[in-house]
Amino acid sequence: MVEGGGIKLEGVSFGIGGFTIEDLSLSIRDGEYFVLTGPNGAGKTILIKLIAGLLRPADGEIKVRGAPITGLPPWERNIGYVPQDGVLFPNRSVCRNIRFGLEVRGQGKDQMRQAVERAADMLAIGHLLDRMPAGLSGGECQKVSLARALVLKPELLLLDEPLSAIDEDARDALCRELLAIQHETAITTIHVSHNRKEIELVADRAAVLKDGKITDIMDVGRKA
Amino acid sequence: MQENSASYGRGFDRLLAAPLAAYLLLIVALIAGVFLTITRDAIAQAFGEPALFNAIKLSVVTSVASALLSVAVAVPAGYVLSRHRFPGRFLADTLLDLPIVLPPLVMGLCVLIFFNTAVGRWIDRGLVPGGLFIYRPLGIVLVQFIVGCAFAVRVIKAGFDSLDRRYEEVAMTLGANRAQTFRKVVLPNVVPSLIAGGVISWARIFGLFGPILLVCGTMRGRTEIMPTTIFLETSIGRIEVALVIGACMILISLATLIVFKRLGGRGYLW
Repeated sequence: MVEGGGIKLEGVSFGIGGFTIEDLSLSIRDGEYFVLTGPNGAGKTILIKLIAGLLRPADGEIKVRGAPITGLPPWERNIGYVPQDGVLFPNRSVCRNIRFGLEVRGQGKDQMRQAVERAADMLAIGHLLDRMPAGLSGGECQKVSLARALVLKPELLLLDEPLSAIDEDARDALCRELLAIQHETAITTIHVSHNRKEIELVADRAAVLKDGKITDIMDVGRKA
Repeated sequence: MQENSASYGRGFDRLLAAPLAAYLLLIVALIAGVFLTITRDAIAQAFGEPALFNAIKLSVVTSVASALLSVAVAVPAGYVLSRHRFPGRFLADTLLDLPIVLPPLVMGLCVLIFFNTAVGRWIDRGLVPGGLFIYRPLGIVLVQFIVGCAFAVRVIKAGFDSLDRRYEEVAMTLGANRAQTFRKVVLPNVVPSLIAGGVISWARIFGLFGPILLVCGTMRGRTEIMPTTIFLETSIGRIEVALVIGACMILISLATLIVFKRLGGRGYLW
């Protein structure tokens, strides 16, 4: 564990309905590909949303590279978030989806075009830029969603079951792509997955979450 | 070639379509009855009086203004009700249904009573000596807004309800603050419901009669709108002129609905 680097959760607590996360601590190394796994209802998505700033912990601290981010709203965290199904804005073309974050940051047109082209090249989706989300396959949606997050050069990438709606062959290929991108960008990545094969393909380490508690952390030694 | 599965059981589908056909026939018959009864003399008589033009103008202006005002209030109100849980939400939600459930005449009485209280009198006559609302065109807008806004809130809230919250979550992680998220992600994705909210509220408002008569009266050229003109003309026995005005209302309503469907409202409520 690198003290001060990566992401650190210290004594994080949160409750919603009857579900609680209590005093959860976790350290993820800088540049690590970390997988979060566990049964349905274990709190994986809640944990991802707490890190992204979409939910506010009742107690505890979340730090990215040593800097506390617990009090920051999501738009000030610079954390990339790729939810299940990609969740592309249906009223925007693929190109306009990818450049959304750049638009709200007030970047110039040329800057946006170059950044979108770079991200599209990285994910081999240049041919989709003029398409609308409604006509894309599940895998294409996820790639666009990933490009939309990566174009902002986030400090941390959160992938919430990004491959759950994709068939097995495409999943393996996307896993390899995810890993290649992570190597290229060196972004610390937290990936939520139920799929053992997916975990073995991508993870440096994996944690098992059950009833809001981390029950195991293991070195995986990925195969990809 | 194999027969398309949709073509099986057509007899049953026709049976289901029969009530629809009967109802449509009833509507067409009623409308046709109005148009067939109208004579050229009645049209000349109605349009020969400037009062009718004034009534049409006042009806269109007040109903459009009230519908726009209703949408302007319904957008934030619908969003808050759709996205947030707060103390008193149930009460607020129930109160919103009151203008929908209550007879409009009762709402008109409530407005009249309110403007008879000290606060109401100050609001009505405190700023403008001649009064702002009672027996004034602004009173028409107020009454129409009170009745129509609840419909707009209901329809627009349903639009927000059906919008996946994850769009907002993703937008925020991409750097958009709450206002940017609302403007760039939420609003563009509920446009059909905004149009539907406006049109539903306008449709409710356009034919409103009783409460407007109570609060604003029906003074020729001043607070007379199309529904009150029909009432006036009928009460003095000029049924044929009332029919011409009724036909105008039918045409305006039809044109609005057609434009609404062309604007993207099709498939949302209709």
